[in-house]
Amino acid sequence: MIEITNLKKKFRDNIVLDGINMKIQKGDVVGIIGPSGTGKSTLLRCINQLEQPEQGKIQMDGKEIDLSRKNKKEILELRKNTGMVFQKFNLFEKKTALENVMEGLLVVQKKSREDAKKAAQEQLERVGMAAWANHYPRHLSGGQQQRVAIARALAMKPSLLLLDEPTSALDPELVGEVLETIKKVAEEGFTMLLVSHEMNFIRHVSNRVIFLDGGKIVEDGTPRQVFEHPVNQRTVEFFTKMNLMNQPEYVI
Amino acid sequence: MAKLFDVQAVFSHLSEILAYLPVTLELAVISMLIAVILGLILAVIKINHVPVLTAAVNVFVSVIRGTPIIVQLYITYFGIPMVLKYISTRNGTEFQSGNVPGIFCAIVALSVNESAYIAEIFRGALQSVGTGQIEAANALGMTYFQALRRIILPETLTVALPGLGNSFIGLIKGTSLAFTCAVVEITAQGKIIGGRTYRYFEVYVSLALIYWVVTIVVEQLVKLLERKNEIPENAALVTERVCEAKPGQRI
Ligand SMILES: Nc1ncnc2c1ncn2[C@@H]1O[C@H](COP(=O)(O)OP(=O)(O)OP(=O)(O)O)[C@@H](O)[C@H]1O
Ligand SMILES: [Mg+2]
Repeated sequence: MIEITNLKKKFRDNIVLDGINMKIQKGDVVGIIGPSGTGKSTLLRCINQLEQPEQGKIQMDGKEIDLSRKNKKEILELRKNTGMVFQKFNLFEKKTALENVMEGLLVVQKKSREDAKKAAQEQLERVGMAAWANHYPRHLSGGQQQRVAIARALAMKPSLLLLDEPTSALDPELVGEVLETIKKVAEEGFTMLLVSHEMNFIRHVSNRVIFLDGGKIVEDGTPRQVFEHPVNQRTVEFFTKMNLMNQPEYVI
Repeated sequence: MAKLFDVQAVFSHLSEILAYLPVTLELAVISMLIAVILGLILAVIKINHVPVLTAAVNVFVSVIRGTPIIVQLYITYFGIPMVLKYISTRNGTEFQSGNVPGIFCAIVALSVNESAYIAEIFRGALQSVGTGQIEAANALGMTYFQALRRIILPETLTVALPGLGNSFIGLIKGTSLAFTCAVVEITAQGKIIGGRTYRYFEVYVSLALIYWVVTIVVEQLVKLLERKNEIPENAALVTERVCEAKPGQRI
Protein backbone atom coordinates (compact mmCIF):
# COMPACT_ATOMS: atom_id res chain seq x y z
CA MET A 1 0.00 0.00 0.00
CA ILE A 2 1.09 3.52 -0.74
CA GLU A 3 -0.07 6.36 1.45
CA ILE A 4 0.24 10.07 0.81
CA THR A 5 -0.43 12.31 3.79
CA ASN A 6 -1.19 16.00 3.93
CA LEU A 7 0.53 17.04 0.72
CA LYS A 8 0.71 20.81 0.41
CA LYS A 9 2.25 22.78 -2.42
CA LYS A 10 2.02 26.39 -3.43
CA PHE A 11 3.74 28.48 -6.06
CA ARG A 12 4.23 31.88 -4.42
CA ASP A 13 0.74 32.62 -3.11
CA ASN A 14 -1.01 30.26 -5.50
CA ILE A 15 -2.05 27.30 -3.36
CA VAL A 16 -2.10 24.37 -5.74
CA LEU A 17 -2.32 21.37 -3.43
CA ASP A 18 -4.08 22.00 -0.15
CA GLY A 19 -3.53 18.96 1.98
CA ILE A 20 -3.97 15.93 -0.23
CA ASN A 21 -4.47 12.59 1.52
CA MET A 22 -4.77 9.34 -0.36
CA LYS A 23 -4.23 5.65 0.06
CA ILE A 24 -3.40 3.60 -2.97
CA GLN A 25 -3.75 -0.15 -2.88
CA LYS A 26 -1.32 -2.35 -4.72
CA GLY A 27 -2.51 -2.89 -8.29
CA ASP A 28 -4.79 0.15 -8.18
CA VAL A 29 -5.16 2.16 -11.34
CA VAL A 30 -6.18 5.59 -10.13
CA GLY A 31 -7.49 8.00 -12.72
CA ILE A 32 -6.95 11.64 -11.79
CA ILE A 33 -9.17 14.17 -13.49
CA GLY A 34 -10.04 17.80 -12.98
CA PRO A 35 -10.10 21.20 -14.67
CA SER A 36 -6.95 22.55 -16.26
CA GLY A 37 -4.58 24.14 -13.76
CA THR A 38 -5.89 22.40 -10.64
CA GLY A 39 -2.58 20.77 -9.91
CA LYS A 40 -2.86 17.28 -11.37
CA SER A 41 0.65 17.50 -12.82
CA THR A 42 1.91 19.14 -9.65
CA LEU A 43 0.53 16.25 -7.59
CA LEU A 44 2.43 13.68 -9.65
CA ARG A 45 5.57 15.79 -9.68
CA CYS A 46 5.50 16.21 -5.91
CA ILE A 47 5.19 12.46 -5.45
CA ASN A 48 8.60 11.86 -7.06
CA GLN A 49 10.01 15.20 -5.90
CA LEU A 50 10.48 16.77 -9.29
CA GLU A 51 8.68 19.49 -7.39
CA GLN A 52 9.27 20.04 -3.71
CA PRO A 53 6.13 20.47 -1.63
CA GLU A 54 6.02 22.53 1.58
CA GLN A 55 4.54 19.63 3.44
CA GLY A 56 3.65 16.02 2.89
CA LYS A 57 4.72 12.49 3.50
CA ILE A 58 4.65 9.39 1.40
CA GLN A 59 4.73 5.88 2.69
CA MET A 60 5.82 3.28 0.21
CA ASP A 61 7.19 -0.24 0.45
CA GLY A 62 7.07 0.12 4.23
CA LYS A 63 9.23 3.23 4.28
CA GLU A 64 8.09 6.74 5.06
CA ILE A 65 9.64 9.70 3.27
CA ASP A 66 9.10 13.34 4.14
CA LEU A 67 8.54 14.95 0.75
CA SER A 68 9.18 18.45 2.04
CA ARG A 69 12.74 17.66 3.03
CA LYS A 70 15.62 17.77 0.62
CA ASN A 71 17.44 14.59 1.47
CA LYS A 72 19.37 13.48 -1.61
CA LYS A 73 19.51 9.84 -0.61
CA GLU A 74 15.81 9.68 0.12
CA ILE A 75 14.94 11.50 -3.08
CA LEU A 76 16.95 9.05 -5.16
CA GLU A 77 15.41 6.13 -3.32
CA LEU A 78 11.94 7.51 -3.96
CA ARG A 79 12.64 8.10 -7.62
CA LYS A 80 14.01 4.61 -8.05
CA ASN A 81 10.70 3.25 -6.81
CA THR A 82 8.50 5.45 -8.97
CA GLY A 83 8.34 5.65 -12.73
CA MET A 84 7.21 8.69 -14.66
CA VAL A 85 5.71 8.98 -18.11
CA PHE A 86 5.66 12.54 -19.37
CA GLN A 87 3.24 14.35 -21.61
CA LYS A 88 6.01 15.18 -24.07
CA PHE A 89 7.72 11.75 -23.81
CA ASN A 90 11.10 13.29 -22.87
CA LEU A 91 13.14 10.57 -24.50
CA PHE A 92 16.91 10.98 -24.56
CA GLU A 93 17.39 12.39 -28.03
CA LYS A 94 20.88 11.13 -28.64
CA LYS A 95 20.05 7.57 -27.71
CA THR A 96 18.20 4.90 -29.64
CA ALA A 97 14.96 3.41 -28.36
CA LEU A 98 16.87 0.49 -26.89
CA GLU A 99 19.50 2.72 -25.29
CA ASN A 100 16.75 4.88 -23.81
CA VAL A 101 15.29 1.88 -22.03
CA MET A 102 18.74 0.57 -21.03
CA GLU A 103 19.93 3.85 -19.58
CA GLY A 104 18.31 3.60 -16.15
CA LEU A 105 19.18 -0.08 -15.87
CA LEU A 106 22.85 0.64 -16.54
CA VAL A 107 23.35 3.85 -14.64
CA VAL A 108 20.90 3.59 -11.78
CA GLN A 109 20.49 -0.14 -11.28
CA LYS A 110 24.11 -0.85 -12.29
CA LYS A 111 23.15 -3.85 -14.36
CA SER A 112 25.65 -5.34 -16.77
CA ARG A 113 25.27 -4.38 -20.41
CA GLU A 114 24.06 -7.83 -21.34
CA ASP A 115 21.41 -7.94 -18.65
CA ALA A 116 20.30 -4.39 -19.31
CA LYS A 117 20.01 -5.07 -22.99
CA LYS A 118 18.01 -8.22 -22.47
CA ALA A 119 15.66 -6.51 -20.03
CA ALA A 120 15.28 -3.51 -22.34
CA GLN A 121 14.42 -5.69 -25.30
CA GLU A 122 11.78 -7.46 -23.27
CA GLN A 123 10.24 -4.13 -22.34
CA LEU A 124 10.27 -2.91 -25.92
CA GLU A 125 8.51 -6.10 -26.93
CA ARG A 126 5.92 -5.53 -24.26
CA VAL A 127 4.99 -2.16 -25.80
CA GLY A 128 5.27 -3.47 -29.34
CA MET A 129 8.40 -1.51 -30.20
CA ALA A 130 10.96 -4.31 -30.50
CA ALA A 131 11.31 -3.77 -34.23
CA TRP A 132 12.24 -0.13 -33.62
CA ALA A 133 14.95 -0.77 -31.07
CA ASN A 134 17.70 0.91 -33.09
CA HIS A 135 15.76 3.97 -34.09
CA TYR A 136 16.42 7.39 -32.63
CA PRO A 137 13.47 9.27 -31.09
CA ARG A 138 13.39 11.79 -33.87
CA HIS A 139 12.69 9.02 -36.37
CA LEU A 140 9.74 7.76 -34.35
CA SER A 141 6.17 9.02 -34.34
CA GLY A 142 4.81 10.58 -31.17
CA GLY A 143 2.87 7.45 -30.32
CA GLN A 144 5.94 5.28 -30.79
CA GLN A 145 8.05 7.63 -28.67
CA GLN A 146 5.51 7.48 -25.89
CA ARG A 147 5.50 3.69 -26.00
CA VAL A 148 9.28 3.68 -25.68
CA ALA A 149 8.96 6.11 -22.77
CA ILE A 150 6.52 3.72 -21.12
CA ALA A 151 8.95 0.85 -21.67
CA ARG A 152 11.73 2.97 -20.14
CA ALA A 153 9.64 3.56 -17.02
CA LEU A 154 8.48 -0.06 -16.76
CA ALA A 155 12.02 -1.42 -17.12
CA MET A 156 12.86 0.01 -13.71
CA LYS A 157 10.09 -2.11 -12.17
CA PRO A 158 8.64 0.81 -10.18
CA SER A 159 6.23 0.25 -7.31
CA LEU A 160 4.25 3.19 -8.59
CA LEU A 161 3.89 4.44 -12.13
CA LEU A 162 2.97 8.08 -12.68
CA LEU A 163 1.51 9.02 -16.04
CA ASP A 164 0.91 12.70 -16.76
CA GLU A 165 -1.41 13.12 -19.73
CA PRO A 166 0.46 10.54 -21.77
CA THR A 167 -1.68 11.08 -24.86
CA SER A 168 -2.41 14.78 -24.89
CA ALA A 169 0.58 15.71 -27.05
CA LEU A 170 -0.34 13.14 -29.68
CA ASP A 171 -2.14 13.44 -32.97
CA PRO A 172 -5.61 11.91 -32.63
CA GLU A 173 -4.79 8.91 -34.77
CA LEU A 174 -1.87 7.99 -32.50
CA VAL A 175 -3.76 8.12 -29.22
CA GLY A 176 -5.19 4.64 -29.62
CA GLU A 177 -1.90 2.74 -29.68
CA VAL A 178 -0.67 4.43 -26.50
CA LEU A 179 -3.96 3.88 -24.65
CA GLU A 180 -3.84 0.25 -25.73
CA THR A 181 -0.34 -0.04 -24.24
CA ILE A 182 -1.36 1.60 -20.97
CA LYS A 183 -4.38 -0.68 -20.72
CA LYS A 184 -2.16 -3.70 -21.15
CA VAL A 185 0.21 -2.46 -18.45
CA ALA A 186 -2.73 -1.78 -16.12
CA GLU A 187 -4.02 -5.29 -16.65
CA GLU A 188 -0.62 -6.69 -15.72
CA GLY A 189 -1.13 -5.33 -12.23
CA PHE A 190 1.09 -2.24 -12.13
CA THR A 191 0.02 0.33 -9.57
CA MET A 192 -0.51 3.61 -11.36
CA LEU A 193 -1.68 7.18 -11.09
CA LEU A 194 -2.99 8.28 -14.44
CA VAL A 195 -3.77 11.90 -15.26
CA SER A 196 -5.70 12.23 -18.47
CA HIS A 197 -8.36 14.21 -20.27
CA GLU A 198 -9.49 11.05 -22.08
CA MET A 199 -12.56 10.55 -19.91
CA ASN A 200 -13.76 7.42 -21.65
CA PHE A 201 -10.38 5.83 -21.25
CA ILE A 202 -10.10 6.75 -17.57
CA ARG A 203 -13.51 5.31 -17.02
CA HIS A 204 -12.52 2.16 -18.81
CA VAL A 205 -9.06 1.48 -17.44
CA SER A 206 -9.10 2.71 -13.85
CA ASN A 207 -10.70 1.06 -10.86
CA ARG A 208 -10.79 4.30 -8.97
CA VAL A 209 -11.24 7.91 -10.06
CA ILE A 210 -10.21 11.05 -8.22
CA PHE A 211 -11.48 14.49 -9.09
CA LEU A 212 -9.14 17.26 -8.09
CA ASP A 213 -10.37 20.81 -7.66
CA GLY A 214 -9.20 23.80 -5.67
CA GLY A 215 -6.25 21.89 -4.29
CA LYS A 216 -8.43 19.19 -2.78
CA ILE A 217 -9.83 15.82 -3.70
CA VAL A 218 -13.52 16.55 -4.14
CA GLU A 219 -14.54 13.22 -5.59
CA ASP A 220 -13.12 9.78 -4.94
CA GLY A 221 -14.72 6.52 -5.92
CA THR A 222 -15.20 3.90 -8.56
CA PRO A 223 -15.50 5.21 -12.12
CA ARG A 224 -19.19 4.41 -11.97
CA GLN A 225 -19.73 6.45 -8.81
CA VAL A 226 -17.73 9.43 -9.97
CA PHE A 227 -18.92 9.60 -13.55
CA GLU A 228 -22.54 8.69 -12.98
CA HIS A 229 -23.28 10.01 -9.52
CA PRO A 230 -20.91 12.85 -8.78
CA VAL A 231 -21.63 14.43 -5.42
CA ASN A 232 -19.79 17.70 -5.94
CA GLN A 233 -21.28 20.62 -7.87
CA ARG A 234 -17.94 21.40 -9.52
CA THR A 235 -17.68 17.87 -10.83
CA VAL A 236 -21.15 18.03 -12.30
CA GLU A 237 -20.32 21.32 -14.02
CA PHE A 238 -17.06 19.85 -15.33
CA PHE A 239 -18.78 16.83 -16.79
CA THR A 240 -21.52 18.94 -18.29
CA LYS A 241 -18.89 21.06 -19.95
CA MET A 242 -17.16 18.00 -21.25
CA ASN A 243 -20.52 16.80 -22.46
CA LEU A 244 -20.01 13.60 -20.63
CA MET A 245 -23.39 13.39 -19.00
CA ASN A 246 -24.63 12.22 -22.38
CA GLN A 247 -22.99 8.87 -22.59
CA PRO A 248 -23.40 6.56 -25.58
CA GLU A 249 -25.94 4.59 -23.51
CA TYR A 250 -28.47 7.26 -24.23
CA VAL A 251 -27.69 7.44 -27.91
CA ILE A 252 -29.71 5.37 -30.32
CA MET B 1 68.86 46.13 -57.24
CA ALA B 2 67.32 43.33 -55.25
CA LYS B 3 63.82 42.24 -56.14
CA LEU B 4 61.07 44.18 -54.38
CA PHE B 5 59.12 40.98 -53.66
CA ASP B 6 61.05 37.74 -53.78
CA VAL B 7 58.48 35.00 -54.35
CA GLN B 8 61.11 32.36 -53.83
CA ALA B 9 61.96 33.73 -50.39
CA VAL B 10 58.38 33.01 -49.32
CA PHE B 11 59.01 29.32 -49.82
CA SER B 12 62.74 28.95 -49.27
CA HIS B 13 62.43 29.45 -45.48
CA LEU B 14 59.27 27.39 -45.16
CA SER B 15 60.98 24.31 -43.81
CA GLU B 16 62.90 26.36 -41.29
CA ILE B 17 59.65 27.86 -40.02
CA LEU B 18 57.74 24.61 -40.15
CA ALA B 19 60.30 23.08 -37.83
CA TYR B 20 58.57 25.12 -35.11
CA LEU B 21 55.03 24.14 -36.07
CA PRO B 22 55.03 21.41 -33.40
CA VAL B 23 55.63 24.10 -30.77
CA THR B 24 52.68 26.11 -32.06
CA LEU B 25 50.46 23.05 -32.09
CA GLU B 26 51.63 21.93 -28.67
CA LEU B 27 50.75 25.33 -27.23
CA ALA B 28 47.36 25.32 -28.93
CA VAL B 29 46.34 21.73 -28.19
CA ILE B 30 47.41 21.63 -24.56
CA SER B 31 45.89 25.05 -23.84
CA MET B 32 42.68 24.00 -25.55
CA LEU B 33 42.36 20.81 -23.50
CA ILE B 34 42.86 22.69 -20.25
CA ALA B 35 40.56 25.49 -21.38
CA VAL B 36 37.76 23.05 -22.25
CA ILE B 37 37.89 21.38 -18.84
CA LEU B 38 38.17 24.68 -17.00
CA GLY B 39 35.49 26.30 -19.14
CA LEU B 40 33.11 23.41 -18.51
CA ILE B 41 33.58 23.68 -14.76
CA LEU B 42 32.99 27.43 -14.89
CA ALA B 43 29.84 26.93 -16.97
CA VAL B 44 28.43 24.25 -14.66
CA ILE B 45 29.01 26.57 -11.70
CA LYS B 46 27.22 29.37 -13.50
CA ILE B 47 24.13 27.52 -14.66
CA ASN B 48 23.64 25.96 -11.24
CA HIS B 49 23.97 29.37 -9.58
CA VAL B 50 26.39 27.98 -7.00
CA PRO B 51 26.56 30.66 -4.30
CA VAL B 52 29.81 32.67 -4.01
CA LEU B 53 31.48 30.68 -6.80
CA THR B 54 29.13 32.13 -9.41
CA ALA B 55 30.11 35.64 -8.38
CA ALA B 56 33.78 34.67 -8.55
CA VAL B 57 33.29 33.21 -12.03
CA ASN B 58 31.57 36.41 -13.19
CA VAL B 59 34.46 38.56 -11.99
CA PHE B 60 36.96 36.20 -13.57
CA VAL B 61 35.21 36.22 -16.96
CA SER B 62 34.86 39.99 -16.81
CA VAL B 63 38.56 40.52 -16.05
CA ILE B 64 39.69 38.16 -18.81
CA ARG B 65 37.39 39.73 -21.36
CA GLY B 66 38.33 43.20 -20.30
CA THR B 67 42.10 42.87 -20.74
CA PRO B 68 44.23 42.19 -23.83
CA ILE B 69 45.71 38.73 -24.10
CA ILE B 70 49.20 40.13 -24.55
CA VAL B 71 48.95 41.84 -21.17
CA GLN B 72 47.71 38.60 -19.64
CA LEU B 73 50.68 36.78 -21.12
CA TYR B 74 53.13 39.31 -19.64
CA ILE B 75 51.41 39.14 -16.28
CA THR B 76 51.69 35.35 -16.21
CA TYR B 77 55.27 35.41 -17.44
CA PHE B 78 56.38 37.72 -14.67
CA GLY B 79 53.78 36.69 -12.14
CA ILE B 80 54.28 32.92 -11.97
CA PRO B 81 57.97 33.10 -10.99
CA MET B 82 57.06 35.72 -8.37
CA VAL B 83 54.35 33.54 -6.87
CA LEU B 84 56.64 30.50 -6.88
CA LYS B 85 59.40 32.54 -5.27
CA TYR B 86 57.04 33.76 -2.58
CA ILE B 87 55.90 30.21 -1.84
CA SER B 88 59.44 28.85 -1.74
CA THR B 89 60.73 31.59 0.58
CA ARG B 90 57.83 30.93 2.91
CA ASN B 91 58.70 27.27 2.92
CA GLY B 92 62.36 28.17 3.39
CA THR B 93 63.58 26.60 0.13
CA GLU B 94 65.77 28.16 -2.52
CA PHE B 95 64.13 28.96 -5.82
CA GLN B 96 65.65 30.00 -9.13
CA SER B 97 63.11 32.14 -10.93
CA GLY B 98 64.79 31.34 -14.22
CA ASN B 99 63.68 27.74 -13.79
CA VAL B 100 60.12 28.30 -14.96
CA PRO B 101 59.92 27.34 -18.62
CA GLY B 102 58.36 30.04 -20.80
CA ILE B 103 56.11 27.53 -22.50
CA PHE B 104 54.55 26.70 -19.15
CA CYS B 105 53.65 30.35 -18.57
CA ALA B 106 52.33 30.68 -22.10
CA ILE B 107 50.10 27.63 -21.70
CA VAL B 108 48.77 28.90 -18.38
CA ALA B 109 47.92 32.31 -19.85
CA LEU B 110 46.43 30.99 -23.07
CA SER B 111 44.30 28.33 -21.40
CA VAL B 112 43.04 30.60 -18.65
CA ASN B 113 42.19 33.23 -21.23
CA GLU B 114 40.42 30.78 -23.52
CA SER B 115 38.51 29.15 -20.66
CA ALA B 116 36.60 32.37 -20.05
CA TYR B 117 35.30 32.36 -23.61
CA ILE B 118 34.69 28.64 -23.67
CA ALA B 119 32.70 28.93 -20.43
CA GLU B 120 30.25 31.17 -22.27
CA ILE B 121 30.00 28.70 -25.16
CA PHE B 122 29.30 25.86 -22.74
CA ARG B 123 26.82 27.92 -20.78
CA GLY B 124 24.71 28.52 -23.86
CA ALA B 125 25.00 24.89 -24.91
CA LEU B 126 24.13 23.54 -21.46
CA GLN B 127 21.06 25.74 -21.38
CA SER B 128 19.97 24.44 -24.77
CA VAL B 129 19.51 20.92 -23.41
CA GLY B 130 15.79 20.59 -22.83
CA THR B 131 14.62 20.35 -19.22
CA GLY B 132 12.48 17.44 -20.35
CA GLN B 133 15.43 15.12 -20.78
CA ILE B 134 16.96 16.22 -17.51
CA GLU B 135 13.70 15.58 -15.69
CA ALA B 136 13.45 12.18 -17.33
CA ALA B 137 16.95 11.37 -16.08
CA ASN B 138 16.04 12.58 -12.59
CA ALA B 139 12.83 10.60 -12.62
CA LEU B 140 14.83 7.45 -13.35
CA GLY B 141 16.78 8.12 -10.17
CA MET B 142 20.01 9.48 -11.63
CA THR B 143 22.13 11.84 -9.59
CA TYR B 144 23.00 15.25 -11.06
CA PHE B 145 26.45 14.08 -12.08
CA GLN B 146 25.12 10.91 -13.68
CA ALA B 147 22.64 12.96 -15.68
CA LEU B 148 25.39 15.45 -16.54
CA ARG B 149 27.74 12.79 -17.80
CA ARG B 150 25.27 10.52 -19.55
CA ILE B 151 22.59 12.85 -20.88
CA ILE B 152 23.49 16.52 -20.64
CA LEU B 153 27.13 16.53 -21.74
CA PRO B 154 26.76 14.51 -24.95
CA GLU B 155 24.11 16.96 -26.12
CA THR B 156 26.02 19.96 -24.87
CA LEU B 157 29.15 18.95 -26.76
CA THR B 158 27.21 18.59 -29.99
CA VAL B 159 25.79 22.07 -29.61
CA ALA B 160 29.12 23.54 -28.48
CA LEU B 161 31.26 21.90 -31.15
CA PRO B 162 31.16 24.65 -33.79
CA GLY B 163 31.87 27.28 -31.14
CA LEU B 164 34.72 25.22 -29.72
CA GLY B 165 36.13 24.85 -33.23
CA ASN B 166 36.17 28.63 -33.63
CA SER B 167 37.78 28.99 -30.22
CA PHE B 168 40.49 26.57 -31.16
CA ILE B 169 41.23 28.44 -34.38
CA GLY B 170 41.41 31.67 -32.40
CA LEU B 171 43.72 29.98 -29.95
CA ILE B 172 46.07 28.79 -32.69
CA LYS B 173 46.39 32.36 -33.90
CA GLY B 174 46.76 33.49 -30.30
CA THR B 175 49.85 31.32 -29.87
CA SER B 176 51.68 33.81 -32.12
CA LEU B 177 51.90 36.00 -29.01
CA ALA B 178 53.78 33.37 -27.05
CA PHE B 179 57.04 35.19 -27.80
CA THR B 180 56.10 37.40 -24.86
CA CYS B 181 56.97 34.41 -22.70
CA ALA B 182 60.19 33.79 -24.64
CA VAL B 183 58.71 30.81 -26.48
CA VAL B 184 59.91 30.27 -30.03
CA GLU B 185 57.06 29.04 -32.17
CA ILE B 186 56.48 29.70 -35.84
CA THR B 187 55.90 33.45 -35.61
CA ALA B 188 58.94 33.98 -33.39
CA GLN B 189 61.01 31.84 -35.75
CA GLY B 190 59.73 33.92 -38.68
CA LYS B 191 60.89 37.07 -36.93
CA ILE B 192 64.29 35.54 -36.33
CA ILE B 193 64.64 34.60 -40.00
CA GLY B 194 63.42 38.04 -41.00
CA GLY B 195 66.05 39.65 -38.82
CA ARG B 196 68.73 37.53 -40.50
CA THR B 197 67.67 37.96 -44.13
CA TYR B 198 65.79 41.26 -44.02
CA ARG B 199 63.06 39.52 -46.05
CA TYR B 200 60.48 40.35 -43.39
CA PHE B 201 57.63 40.73 -45.83
CA GLU B 202 58.22 37.37 -47.50
CA VAL B 203 58.59 35.60 -44.17
CA TYR B 204 55.33 37.05 -42.89
CA VAL B 205 53.58 36.02 -46.10
CA SER B 206 54.78 32.46 -45.61
CA LEU B 207 53.64 32.62 -41.94
CA ALA B 208 50.22 33.76 -43.11
CA LEU B 209 50.09 30.82 -45.50
CA ILE B 210 50.95 28.37 -42.74
CA TYR B 211 48.32 29.73 -40.34
CA TRP B 212 45.76 29.72 -43.12
CA VAL B 213 46.42 26.10 -44.07
CA VAL B 214 46.36 24.99 -40.43
CA THR B 215 43.03 26.77 -39.96
CA ILE B 216 41.54 25.08 -43.00
CA VAL B 217 42.67 21.69 -41.73
CA VAL B 218 41.15 22.37 -38.30
CA GLU B 219 37.90 23.54 -39.88
CA GLN B 220 37.66 20.32 -41.84
CA LEU B 221 38.40 18.24 -38.75
CA VAL B 222 35.63 20.01 -36.86
CA LYS B 223 33.22 19.41 -39.73
CA LEU B 224 34.17 15.74 -39.68
CA LEU B 225 33.55 15.55 -35.94
CA GLU B 226 30.20 17.26 -36.36
CA ARG B 227 29.16 14.79 -39.00
CA LYS B 228 30.25 11.87 -36.86
CA ASN B 229 28.24 13.25 -33.98
CA GLU B 230 25.04 13.69 -35.94
CA ILE B 231 22.13 11.34 -35.45
CA PRO B 232 22.11 9.26 -38.63
CA GLU B 233 19.37 10.39 -41.00
CA ASN B 234 18.70 6.91 -42.24
CA ALA B 235 17.47 4.89 -39.31
CA ALA B 236 18.12 1.63 -41.13
CA LEU B 237 21.84 2.40 -41.12
CA VAL B 238 22.07 2.61 -37.36
CA THR B 239 24.38 -0.19 -36.38
CA GLU B 240 23.86 -2.13 -33.22
CA ARG B 241 26.42 -0.33 -31.12
CA VAL B 242 25.08 -1.99 -28.06
CA CYS B 243 25.63 -5.46 -29.48
CA GLU B 244 29.24 -4.72 -30.22
CA ALA B 245 30.04 -4.06 -26.61
CA LYS B 246 31.92 -6.90 -25.01
CA PRO B 247 29.89 -9.18 -22.82
CA GLY B 248 30.07 -8.26 -19.20
CA GLN B 249 31.30 -4.76 -19.99
CA ARG B 250 30.05 -2.24 -17.50
CA ILE B 251 29.56 1.47 -17.63
N1 LIG C 1 6.83 25.84 -11.92
C1 LIG C 1 5.72 26.57 -11.63
N2 LIG C 1 5.84 27.83 -11.18
C2 LIG C 1 4.75 28.56 -10.87
N3 LIG C 1 3.50 28.11 -10.98
C3 LIG C 1 3.31 26.86 -11.42
C4 LIG C 1 4.41 26.02 -11.78
N4 LIG C 1 3.93 24.83 -12.19
C5 LIG C 1 2.59 24.92 -12.10
N5 LIG C 1 2.21 26.13 -11.64
C6 LIG C 1 0.83 26.54 -11.38
O1 LIG C 1 0.24 25.58 -10.58
C7 LIG C 1 -1.10 25.35 -10.97
C8 LIG C 1 -1.29 23.87 -11.24
O2 LIG C 1 -0.54 23.50 -12.37
P1 LIG C 1 -0.57 22.01 -12.95
O3 LIG C 1 0.31 22.00 -14.12
O4 LIG C 1 -0.27 21.08 -11.85
O5 LIG C 1 -2.08 21.84 -13.38
P2 LIG C 1 -2.75 20.65 -14.17
O6 LIG C 1 -3.92 20.23 -13.35
O7 LIG C 1 -1.76 19.63 -14.50
O8 LIG C 1 -3.28 21.36 -15.46
P3 LIG C 1 -3.38 20.82 -16.95
O9 LIG C 1 -4.62 19.98 -17.02
O10 LIG C 1 -3.52 22.06 -17.77
O11 LIG C 1 -2.14 20.06 -17.24
C9 LIG C 1 -1.36 26.24 -12.16
O12 LIG C 1 -2.05 27.37 -11.70
C10 LIG C 1 0.00 26.61 -12.65
O13 LIG C 1 -0.02 27.91 -13.18
MG1 LIG D 1 -0.85 18.97 -16.30
